Amino acid sequence: MRKAKLSAWVGTMAAVGATLAIASTLIPVAVSAQDYRNSTEHYEALKRQAGGGAKMTWDKLPDWTGVWTRGPKGVGLRFDPAQPTLQQTTAQLTPEFAQKHKEKLERVAKGIEWDPISNCIPPGYPRWLTEPFLRDFALRPDQTLLINEMVNDIRRIYTDGRGHTPPEEAYPLWNGDSIGFWDGDTLVIHTTQLMGGQYQRSQPDYTDQVETVERWRKVDDNTIEAAVTVYDPPALVKPWSVTQRYIRVTTPGIRIRSWVCEENANNDVFQNKAGTTEHVLPGPGAGPKKVEK
Amino acid sequence: MRRSIARLCLGVVALVWMAFPISAHHSGAMFEPVKTITVKGVVKLFEYTNPHSWLWVTVTNDDKTTTDWGFEAEGPSTLFRAGIRKSDLPPGEKVTVTGRPMKDGRPAAAWVSLVKEDGTVLNPRPQ
Repeated sequence: MRKAKLSAWVGTMAAVGATLAIASTLIPVAVSAQDYRNSTEHYEALKRQAGGGAKMTWDKLPDWTGVWTRGPKGVGLRFDPAQPTLQQTTAQLTPEFAQKHKEKLERVAKGIEWDPISNCIPPGYPRWLTEPFLRDFALRPDQTLLINEMVNDIRRIYTDGRGHTPPEEAYPLWNGDSIGFWDGDTLVIHTTQLMGGQYQRSQPDYTDQVETVERWRKVDDNTIEAAVTVYDPPALVKPWSVTQRYIRVTTPGIRIRSWVCEENANNDVFQNKAGTTEHVLPGPGAGPKKVEK
Repeated sequence: MRRSIARLCLGVVALVWMAFPISAHHSGAMFEPVKTITVKGVVKLFEYTNPHSWLWVTVTNDDKTTTDWGFEAEGPSTLFRAGIRKSDLPPGEKVTVTGRPMKDGRPAAAWVSLVKEDGTVLNPRPQ
């Protein structure tokens, strides 16, 4: 008797499960980053939803021409524009990285701060998203160049159908290895193979396991939006989703110039014994930075 | 020297916390976060460079010696957007500059605002 009841229950549940499984293929289900175990699963799911990503052609590329900068005004160096202050991150950090962040903020409050990019190394990605200078975006069917003026820093997104660099050829990269596809007018990007760093000054740190999924889209004539989900298991309890915005720069005559970071030795700084930033400051007309031997 | 600098300061002005950092490239930790100084002098050189620009202003001290004061601001594109071109501050231009001074006492500061002799105000980070 008991066996028969159990058998009937199993049968019913199987029928319900099968119905749900069929329904799930018919009804679009809203999925959030929390539904994926890692960035690859997330990216592959978006690609499936987009039917594998349409082959882009010159005539279908969206118009992202112009000069852009991070916005809105006042966003400052916050990685998540939605966070209330520079100090209050919206990331859910692991205890180790929460402690590191707390200690960093305590040092900054005492006036002790050193930024690794002070002497001209690039910021690296995902910090790249937050640098407050000029940007432009060069779109081609086979690849998109996302360009930040600071240190002529280019992210190259391959959209020609290639996969990531195979593991035996991979090595850490400042801006990682980015592939993508177009879902209508939205550029979907998967970035792996990154170096560790900090999201920005006074922001938490990320590890060399950081990976992201981005969805870039021009939402109106003056705004390009990037919905970014960051995966970094050693530092984040769960993926961190933020929306970055880039606003059209309308200053008459504005142009993006070559950025030569070493051109003025008055910008030489060093980290002193207290751990903070100090200028060398040779004086007027110092010329380019000198190469130390 | 210290006395001269003190006299050159037209005022230790604002108790206004600068909510934004001076610099997006290196930390502004070397500058006073709140205190400002104002000096009057003549432009010696405007280094319109990346990642930061430096405006050098020669100030004549009470004892007739001179001191070159350096004022740091952002690079060319940020200054251009703020309406500050290299040609706006040629050598010889008379200026009054306000900045947050270096904590270590050297004659340099983070450029907050500048007034030219004709009254033009040049603020690298207009609100």
